[in-house]
Amino acid sequence: MDNIIEFKNVSKRFGTETHALNDVSLAIEKGEFVFIVGASGAGKSTFLKLIMHEETPTQGTITVNGIEVSRLKRKKVPYLRRNMGIVFQDFRLIDKMTVYDNVAFAMRAIGASPSAVRKRVPYILELVGLSHKAQNRPSELSGGEQQRVSLARALVNNPAIIIADEPTGNIDPEMSYEIIELLSEINAQGTTILVVTHEHDLVRKFNKRVIEIEKGRVVSDTKEVDDILFEIPDESEEDTADTYPEEADSAEELSADEETAEDPQDETQEESAQPDESEDKEAE
Amino acid sequence: MRFTGLGYLIKEGFRNVWNNRIMSIASVCVLISCLVLTGSAVLISMNVTNLVDKISDSNETTVYLKEDVSKVEAVYIGRDIKNLKNVTEAKYFPKEEALEDFKSTLGEEVFDNMKNDNPLPDAYKVTMKDLSKYDKTVRQIKKIEGVEKITSQKELARKLSSINDLVRILSVAIVLALGVISLFIISNTIRATMHSRRFEISIMKSVGATDSFVRIPFIVEGMVIGFIASVFSTAALFFLYDIIMEIVVNLIHIATIPFSQVFWVVAGAFVLAGVLIGALSGFISIRKYLKKEGNEILGW
Repeated sequence: MDNIIEFKNVSKRFGTETHALNDVSLAIEKGEFVFIVGASGAGKSTFLKLIMHEETPTQGTITVNGIEVSRLKRKKVPYLRRNMGIVFQDFRLIDKMTVYDNVAFAMRAIGASPSAVRKRVPYILELVGLSHKAQNRPSELSGGEQQRVSLARALVNNPAIIIADEPTGNIDPEMSYEIIELLSEINAQGTTILVVTHEHDLVRKFNKRVIEIEKGRVVSDTKEVDDILFEIPDESEEDTADTYPEEADSAEELSADEETAEDPQDETQEESAQPDESEDKEAE
Repeated sequence: MRFTGLGYLIKEGFRNVWNNRIMSIASVCVLISCLVLTGSAVLISMNVTNLVDKISDSNETTVYLKEDVSKVEAVYIGRDIKNLKNVTEAKYFPKEEALEDFKSTLGEEVFDNMKNDNPLPDAYKVTMKDLSKYDKTVRQIKKIEGVEKITSQKELARKLSSINDLVRILSVAIVLALGVISLFIISNTIRATMHSRRFEISIMKSVGATDSFVRIPFIVEGMVIGFIASVFSTAALFFLYDIIMEIVVNLIHIATIPFSQVFWVVAGAFVLAGVLIGALSGFISIRKYLKKEGNEILGW
């Protein structure tokens, strides 16, 4: 089981008319780092909600870490969610609690023992570089720091997948870069990362797989290439799933060899992709 | 294993009560009044039942003799009564004894000057074999010359029983009505806590907390409120009962159940009822939240 997230012909309708998602099929492998981009209302949120079982699909099947989400019983949903750590745009930190307790809360909520909490939380805070702020309240921290606390909370239960919903939406660009950098480091340890964003600049800076959703459909799915340039190989969405099965690091090496050969083709692809993006921006 | 975090959740429940203390105090007060009223109704009913039982047990019919009946004639009358089939015993109860009896139950001074001019009649205390033949036997006794009238405790017992039935129906109604009110008030309190903690609930759910984990602190909150209320209710009823019973005993001399005899029953019932109502309130209020997902919990 290499695919950690798999959508097969998934549609989600609200009411009879609106298609939030329309016949989406895609696969994300274990250890991948994926950006999900698209204008607001394109279906990104629905996509995430379906993964988290906050919504169930009208049609199709969804599998997450070997669990068939679409047919999951309500009682089993919590165990599905323990596979994923969620980072919210608005951080969702509890200001009554210290930074330490905010992170510990996620462990206590799933019944971790006090000794496990004492061991794990300081380690995670160290990882996100906030050990010195452990006893502060979230409101005393900067936006970037708050988001790192949120990330620490998402990480603390050691999930297989980190889902970040517009993690940089409420923080300044410099901090945004740092957060994505941090996510990349976590990704290097083998954790699958999903980042929903509409900041194309940020996406361009990092060389990762990008899935673009528009009007409920996947309109482009470009895998990771080794360059700061935004290069889009000619791949249809069905093919991407099995192109680079390796983890991030080895995938980069692999693509480095192919780069020269594919270059001309990529250039043209890039041009055709650009207008789409500017349209998106205007829409937002 | 599943409940390694239980201690933490229980602590959270106590914290809920404290953080939301104004509402908690209001709930405790409402629950106290409900419990005390219910408890009073039950205790009244118990006392009446106790009285009825005692009266019925004695199963004695008093046959009063006419005032002009002499002591000798009285002996004959007594023999006639004893000869009746349904009568097991007929004990002579002279007016002097009756006066003594009154004196001991109602206080002395009033009766001291009556010694020489005793207005009470002589009587026989008759015990019957079969109470179902009561009416027939009474008719037979009435036919005996020199019998003035017959009074039976059975009449009193019958009247008290019907009062007791009324009290019982009333107390069931009170229990039901106040139970619903308590449930409503406490679940509102817990809902207020939940509203202030909806953020935490949404995070708990997003990290994969099971329903029971989300629920436990709120159920504990309800149970704590219920427990506090039951302790105060027991104390309140303890003082109220003594005061009321003193008044009752002063008015009519009847045997009452001492509170010490029912203390543990009352305390146990109160704690059980309070804690159950509290837990149920917590359970009911969280149900709505558990069905919601993500932003719905936050009301967005």
